[in-house]
Amino acid sequence: MSDLVGTARVRPTARTRRWAVGYLFVLPIALFFAVFVAFPFLRSFYLSLTEWSGFTSPRFIGLRNFQSLADDPVFWKALRTTIIYTAVTTILQTTLPMLLAVFINIGWRGGVVFRTLLFIPVIVSFVVTALLWQLIYDPNFGTLNQVLRAVGLDALAHPWLADPMTVVPAIMLVSLWQSLGFYMLIFLAGLQGIDPNLYEAARIDGAGARQEFLKITVPMLRTVTAVVVLLNLINGFNTFDVIYVMTGGGPNRASEVLGTYLYKLAFGTESGATPSFGYATAISMIVFALCVAAAVVQLRISRRARDVG
Amino acid sequence: MSAEAPSTTQQATVPGRAEGIATRPSRHRVPAGRRRRRAARRSAGYVFLVALSGATVFPFVWMLLTSVRHRDTVFGGSLVPDELTFGAYGRAWSQLDYLSHFLTSVVVTTLTVLGVLALASLAGYSFAKLDFPGKQVIYVTLLTTLMMPLTALILPLFLQMKTLSLLNTRQGLILVYIGLSLPFAMFLMRAFFETLPDELIDAARVDGAGEFRIFWRVMLPLAAPGVATVVVFQFLTTWNEFLFAQTFLQDPEILPLQPHLFGVVRGQHVTDWPLLTAALTMSVLPMVLVYMRMQRRFVAGLTLGAVKS
Amino acid sequence: MVTPAADNPGTPTGRPRSGVTRRDVLRGGVLGAAALAMPSLLGACDSGDSGGSGGSSGGKAKVRLWTWYTEQEKQWPMLAQEFQASHPNIVIENRVIDYDAYLPALQAAVSGGDPPEIFAPHVLAIEYGKAGIAADLKAELGADFLSDFFTSTNDEFSDGGKQYALGWMAQTFGVFYDPAIFARAKVDVPETWDDLIEVSNTIKSSTGLMPCVLSNNPGSNGPDFVLPLITQTANDPHLVLDLDYGRNGARWDQPKVIEALTKVDQLIKGGAFAPNPNGIPDEQAQRLLYTGKAAMFYSGSWVPQGFAGSAPKPFLQRYKVMQTPAWTAGGRHWCANQAGAGLSVSAKSKNKAAALEFIKFMYEPARYAKVMNDSNSMPSTNAAGAQVTDPVVKLMTSWLLNGDGAPHILFGKGSAGAATNALAALIGGKSTPEKTAAAIQAEVEKARTR
Repeated sequence: MSDLVGTARVRPTARTRRWAVGYLFVLPIALFFAVFVAFPFLRSFYLSLTEWSGFTSPRFIGLRNFQSLADDPVFWKALRTTIIYTAVTTILQTTLPMLLAVFINIGWRGGVVFRTLLFIPVIVSFVVTALLWQLIYDPNFGTLNQVLRAVGLDALAHPWLADPMTVVPAIMLVSLWQSLGFYMLIFLAGLQGIDPNLYEAARIDGAGARQEFLKITVPMLRTVTAVVVLLNLINGFNTFDVIYVMTGGGPNRASEVLGTYLYKLAFGTESGATPSFGYATAISMIVFALCVAAAVVQLRISRRARDVG
Repeated sequence: MSAEAPSTTQQATVPGRAEGIATRPSRHRVPAGRRRRRAARRSAGYVFLVALSGATVFPFVWMLLTSVRHRDTVFGGSLVPDELTFGAYGRAWSQLDYLSHFLTSVVVTTLTVLGVLALASLAGYSFAKLDFPGKQVIYVTLLTTLMMPLTALILPLFLQMKTLSLLNTRQGLILVYIGLSLPFAMFLMRAFFETLPDELIDAARVDGAGEFRIFWRVMLPLAAPGVATVVVFQFLTTWNEFLFAQTFLQDPEILPLQPHLFGVVRGQHVTDWPLLTAALTMSVLPMVLVYMRMQRRFVAGLTLGAVKS
Repeated sequence: MVTPAADNPGTPTGRPRSGVTRRDVLRGGVLGAAALAMPSLLGACDSGDSGGSGGSSGGKAKVRLWTWYTEQEKQWPMLAQEFQASHPNIVIENRVIDYDAYLPALQAAVSGGDPPEIFAPHVLAIEYGKAGIAADLKAELGADFLSDFFTSTNDEFSDGGKQYALGWMAQTFGVFYDPAIFARAKVDVPETWDDLIEVSNTIKSSTGLMPCVLSNNPGSNGPDFVLPLITQTANDPHLVLDLDYGRNGARWDQPKVIEALTKVDQLIKGGAFAPNPNGIPDEQAQRLLYTGKAAMFYSGSWVPQGFAGSAPKPFLQRYKVMQTPAWTAGGRHWCANQAGAGLSVSAKSKNKAAALEFIKFMYEPARYAKVMNDSNSMPSTNAAGAQVTDPVVKLMTSWLLNGDGAPHILFGKGSAGAATNALAALIGGKSTPEKTAAAIQAEVEKARTR
């Protein structure tokens, strides 16, 4: 009898039931997002339209922060440095870890040990990383210069962090060092999902290692590569920790990126006694826009590649 | 046979990539010359790995060496300390109230990891394998979390936490960690789920399994590398985090280990390096343990090959 | 006829069902709820937050003390214990925060309306005072209490007749040197900057060692070095203060400033300094001195404590400090001196009275002197200054007592950022004095319009 009652209502189809599951699975994360991300972000967005020192009330000034940014040579310099830094580190930190993952995946005795050692930089806190590399780059006592002098390459010994020409590449090296193990791990995990039969078939067809890599490995890793590229882009645009501790953005803005500039505006000495939160938040909106743009572009590219491939 | 020749000559530029993915060819007679070349490449490969691992592990070695020195030989002394002293470890343990902060870190990190894992795999699966209207939009919106500079969010988040009465509580900190970390974990899990074949799901549905059971029993076990990756990364990120912990937690007793360490030991001008490195070395151990435990999942051996097409 | 009631897979009808089952929902719900509820389990273990401004624990007034002063890391707990013993209804909660993470924590607390009772104000003392966040200590503690502090310390934190912070650890800058190297090179302590160039070149040619080290990574020492020079050219510490706040029409691109910058340029080009100041962090600079690679090091009074921890004993026993060189022979040795480390009191806290009690307790001359001596730090009061035991710190403190102090910290909007960066360019040999001055002025003007 209870069965018959149900037939009077509209029956949910299997499809809509699956919709319900889909939404249900996503509900918790959506809740967290709303509370811990969306609201603060909206507040942040509002703050970018204000002048705020952090302790008095924010004063609405419309788009004036963005106008000031357009006139601010430090902002433009930081933007340029950020973009160059992000582009280079993304390329390096996608290709090299991929190659390394493929290399390690061949199978080596003691592979576990190597994988752990390569991962150490990720485990070490960024403060220690920054301080240690500052030590390495020290012009007088630094390991790098000492090694160069020891092998007779005295001429190459350099004040790596003091020279505006070398400071950014030096920091890029630190970034590469830090993230090699991290992205290698992601690629390794992705490699496990590739069907070994594909390689067997290719070998039977007479393909060499390079062809196997280019025709099988790379395409099969497409999704993972997209993940890694996007992460690199986002991390690049947001970079701040290590640079702040190593050089503070100096000397004379040579290593100033958007992240360090905005931190100093909010919490440092950039503004002196009156922090400029509104201004700093405006910059963070720009960083956000950059990341979104990068994600959109990347999505388009990978979608097109998927359609073609 | 002749197909082998081009592949071997292509190896000259890339050290050690002998046969691509490791499946040993079952040939009985390999010419001696080729065997020697392969062995040489293998050795070169090991040398490369050892060198690279050395480069990545040296900060940890430096930390270990520094933690057993006397303070006045940290910079002046030789590379390997003449005199070993474990006093720093003793001081780190007793002076810094190590155990209680360590336990706080363990609890906070574990709960964060579990929370992130549960919710991110649910959502990641949903985005990868289930269909519902607005899926792309929701996914991309959630992803924007990754793109926001945390520096700008910190103050709005603080005010948000205050409104929710979550300030100065460990559960509040955990909730913030979960909220901010979910998108990245979800991103990873979705990527891993996408590499799994749909046929399994269809088969399970035909067998009459409910959606959650499909997720829990069928797909999640197959995504073990993804799970392991998320666990490792989330553990690391949370264990090492200290800016948010410093800002949202005010009572010094409930601080996790990292913020406590850096606050107490690292001065504005002067640092007690042996003490800091001893404390940090001890704090690195759980991360190494988690990593070594999880990374077994990365080694191939899952039943991907068993998928019936 | 399909019945919707067959929720369980594998019912007797054998009909397959896909979609959400009750069990699914339950499982999902439990999993989700568990994930969310687990953190709350910790709630039982937490003391919860101290709502409102100023909390209490167990009926006692709680005074929170936030600083980054690891120098007194051992002394804070002892001070707290001693105070609590004699004031049983007050609890002191001391928190030392990592220097780089200090401001977010403080500013967040302030923006939330609940700053700690006593806190290190960083550069924000006057602004916090004007906004009513930091208490006017002249009114709270009385002018008598403040009279024993060094004048420059009081001035730094004062505005409009009110004072918003007290100096805790003062700083002066001088040139630390190794007398052994001086003896080897047969040179005397330089009196003027030109003497310094001469001495440096002699040291270099006769011993091959580095002369004077300037440590400008990450760049905050640039202003520490150059700003007193500006005072020297003007023979008046108020010029820097005017430049900082843009008062009295003072501009950075004026002749006096350019004069000072030219001297810096001469020093660098004249070889007075070790190469690459922009690449040398403070700790490595200290190391250059105590490992015998350099003869001199221009830095601040925190260095003795650094040496005490890291330098070999023979060095500790022989190193000395000399005054900042003067502009001319017989001229005044203006040296940088302000208290970078101060203490403010929250104006609106419920426990302000308790906080002030603790302040008075900490600054009692005998106690304050002991704390400063034990931590090898320079005090900010005359009384404690007279009791400094470490000879180097004692000498440096005496310069303050003589009134030779000149400002070296910039508080004005945009000043510090502008000065640090332009000076780094000059010190790195990449700019000229005129361009540097103009650059500072331009950037400061821009910042003030923000």
